[in-house]
Amino acid sequence: MDWGLIVDLTLKAFLGLDAVYYIVAALGMNVQFGYAGLLNFGQAAFMAAGAYGLGMSVSYFGYSWWLGLLIGGIYAAVLALIVGVPTLRLRADYLAIVTIAMAEMIRLIVRSVTHKDKFGGTDGLKGFAKGFQDLNPFEQGTVYGIGPFQASSTVVTVLLLLFYGALSFGIGYAVARKRKAANRTQVTLVAGVVMLGITLLITSRVNYLGAELWVLLVGWVLVAIFSLFVYMLMRSPWGRVIKGIREDEEAVRSLGKNVFGYKMSALIIGAVLGMFSGVLFALKNSNVQPDNYSRAVTFYIMTALVLGGLATVTGSIVGPMLFWALLAFTDVFLSEVSDAQGRVEIFGIELLKDSSARGQFRLGMVGLGLILLMVFRPQGIFGNRKEMALDGR
Amino acid sequence: MTFRIRHLAALALATIAAFGMLLASPASADSPAGRAPRAATCEGPGIRAQVNDQSNGEKKPIEGVKITVNDEGGAEVVTGNTDATGRVLLCVPEKATYTVTLDESTLKEGQALDGEATVTIDGAKFTTNTRTINFFTGAAVRETDGYWTLLVKAIVNGFRLGIVIAICSVGLSLIFGTTGLTNFAHGELVTFGGIVANLLSVTLGINFLLSAVIAVFLGGLLGVGLDAGLWAPLRKRGVGLVSQMVVSVGLGIFLINLYLMRFGGSTKRFTAYNQQTAMKWGPIEITARDLTTTIISLVVLIGVALLLQKSRLGKATRAVSDNVDLASSTGIDSAKIIRIVWFLGAALAALGGIVRGLDEGVRADMGGSLLFLMFAGITLGGLGSAYGALVGGFVIGMFVEVSTIGIPIFPDLPFLGWIKNGVPTELKNVPALAALILILMIRPQGILGRKERVG
Repeated sequence: MDWGLIVDLTLKAFLGLDAVYYIVAALGMNVQFGYAGLLNFGQAAFMAAGAYGLGMSVSYFGYSWWLGLLIGGIYAAVLALIVGVPTLRLRADYLAIVTIAMAEMIRLIVRSVTHKDKFGGTDGLKGFAKGFQDLNPFEQGTVYGIGPFQASSTVVTVLLLLFYGALSFGIGYAVARKRKAANRTQVTLVAGVVMLGITLLITSRVNYLGAELWVLLVGWVLVAIFSLFVYMLMRSPWGRVIKGIREDEEAVRSLGKNVFGYKMSALIIGAVLGMFSGVLFALKNSNVQPDNYSRAVTFYIMTALVLGGLATVTGSIVGPMLFWALLAFTDVFLSEVSDAQGRVEIFGIELLKDSSARGQFRLGMVGLGLILLMVFRPQGIFGNRKEMALDGR
Repeated sequence: MTFRIRHLAALALATIAAFGMLLASPASADSPAGRAPRAATCEGPGIRAQVNDQSNGEKKPIEGVKITVNDEGGAEVVTGNTDATGRVLLCVPEKATYTVTLDESTLKEGQALDGEATVTIDGAKFTTNTRTINFFTGAAVRETDGYWTLLVKAIVNGFRLGIVIAICSVGLSLIFGTTGLTNFAHGELVTFGGIVANLLSVTLGINFLLSAVIAVFLGGLLGVGLDAGLWAPLRKRGVGLVSQMVVSVGLGIFLINLYLMRFGGSTKRFTAYNQQTAMKWGPIEITARDLTTTIISLVVLIGVALLLQKSRLGKATRAVSDNVDLASSTGIDSAKIIRIVWFLGAALAALGGIVRGLDEGVRADMGGSLLFLMFAGITLGGLGSAYGALVGGFVIGMFVEVSTIGIPIFPDLPFLGWIKNGVPTELKNVPALAALILILMIRPQGILGRKERVG
């Protein structure tokens, strides 16, 4: 068994693009579910809206790249309005049912043979990412390490060191504040040094292809922007009203707030974040395929979000990273212990019968993980249990 | 107390037994079990002919079709009949030019060959050892049938689909009514029935009817087991309904992947009763098998309705649905009622899965795709009302099938082509899902629901 390979691939997934687009989508679902208590089971539809909005605009209508993004955003917001108007006045489960139904409806239409000329059927759309790839400062085919000491020039090394240092001590400061430590400087320093050590260790083992690194860079910048946005939003008066609605809708209404309007805006913000997630995923693959936006995707993002912790920004970032690291670890580990046909036997019981069963096993464990999390630790890693007192509204 | 523990232990065993069926299934279930094995390969070159019916948008093999191979001079080289997989392998002496002819008189009535009956194989292009020739029937059926015939067919199909959805959604709606849970894993209970019946009857070769009864029973046990092992403890802990909904999503993901691992991702058909010719009464065509399953399902549905309406159990169930606390205070053992509802609901779902599986074949995701129609049905009928689920499910099933037939006299308006020409078959679920959203806009409590349930 090659532990080096297992560690490398796990770390790569921890920082990789799958985690990034899950984070953006999870931030959106967190605004809806974690903060506002709105159960959106159709995030995949908003992701598809972004991806197809971009892909259709560029490759079917021949518009520019930026207009495509705008159209995708408008499309996602309109979808949110369509599902929101009939359901936001009703109990929570109606929104869940309608969003999941809408996601399925959209997937059926875009993958249909009838509309293959427009949406490309199951093959999907291609050739819209050129404008984005043209901006890529990295060599497409070159492998880049992201650790500071793997860089080719001293300038890059220094810049990366500064960046990782700032990130680590920033996290250290956040930890110190969260703990309400008396000796805040000391805690910041210790936590920062530990974080920097971990960061350098992780980054020294991970490298990406130039084409991938470019999307990844843009993705992480977007994650930073959106995380800050959601963080600020939830500390604003608007955010307090939204959390109030989650706790007691009637109380907020009696204060004269337009509950419907607040819920609708939360739904739309989440939808637009979902759209950006879909765009990132489309850029990663340079194509849009309908089956990448099935309801299972929504559920996996939900699992990643619950794992990290609802109603926290940290949770929406770390949850998807851990989720993909765990998936990658299981995958590589199982493939290392399996024989040439992909079979795995444990104590004479056949666990996997071939390599395709590996994916099913992993996802089965995701389902089990979601059940166990919701039952035993609904607040996830970073959440606050008091904020998870959701009931059947 | 000891009684309760024993009780729970029994229920846990029941779940394990229900799952054990699945886990103990041979891992090689992915091979086309139950089908006739492929004909042995030829020593020399061979020609494989495949005959499939694709009239329902899905390939169904046709057995017993005569295929003849003639050489360039027109002399017959070899002849054979297709097996249960619709295939026949005909060995030829050398890689040369041949004509392959399908004897159209051996096709069943109503199966029209789509394309030429004679295909020529060019000797120069006979490179691989076995050449495969495909014949399809049925694609041309749409043009040959008149509008009214198509409509009647769609209504018959809609009737059958409607009954399946109604059967499957009763449980979903009753569970919602009694416990408040919107069970997103209900589709997987449907699949469970189909898969277990398929494993028992096709893989293990048990009599089909017996397998179906066992599968329905095991489905019920699974339901009770899930309630005892998962949902009852959750209710006891006071876990919120929204959290329970997310748990049901997790359960759904877990179950569907378990099915995929043990049963594979392909569609598997039942071997029993699948070579029947349709009986005809005027424009109505239905095979004896489909007629029987429809009648059985209808009887079961009426039975369930009567049970709910007339029996003490049914009255108690409706009481618990209305108000758990009030029902408990009048002496109804609501925990017991909920267990019964789970057994009944899951068993009915399993039955729905078997009926659907006979029709369309069994797939690991068959229940998941029915779930949307079930939701549409119970929303239409009114969430939580069992009669609503019956009526709504039936209406939605009918709507799905009939929407594929357009209204030809409808004016040719832009964006409304579906009304005039009918919905393409692959998109027939779309109008039903759109209807779900519309119903919530116009009458969120559904046809039979009461307004105070919704707010």
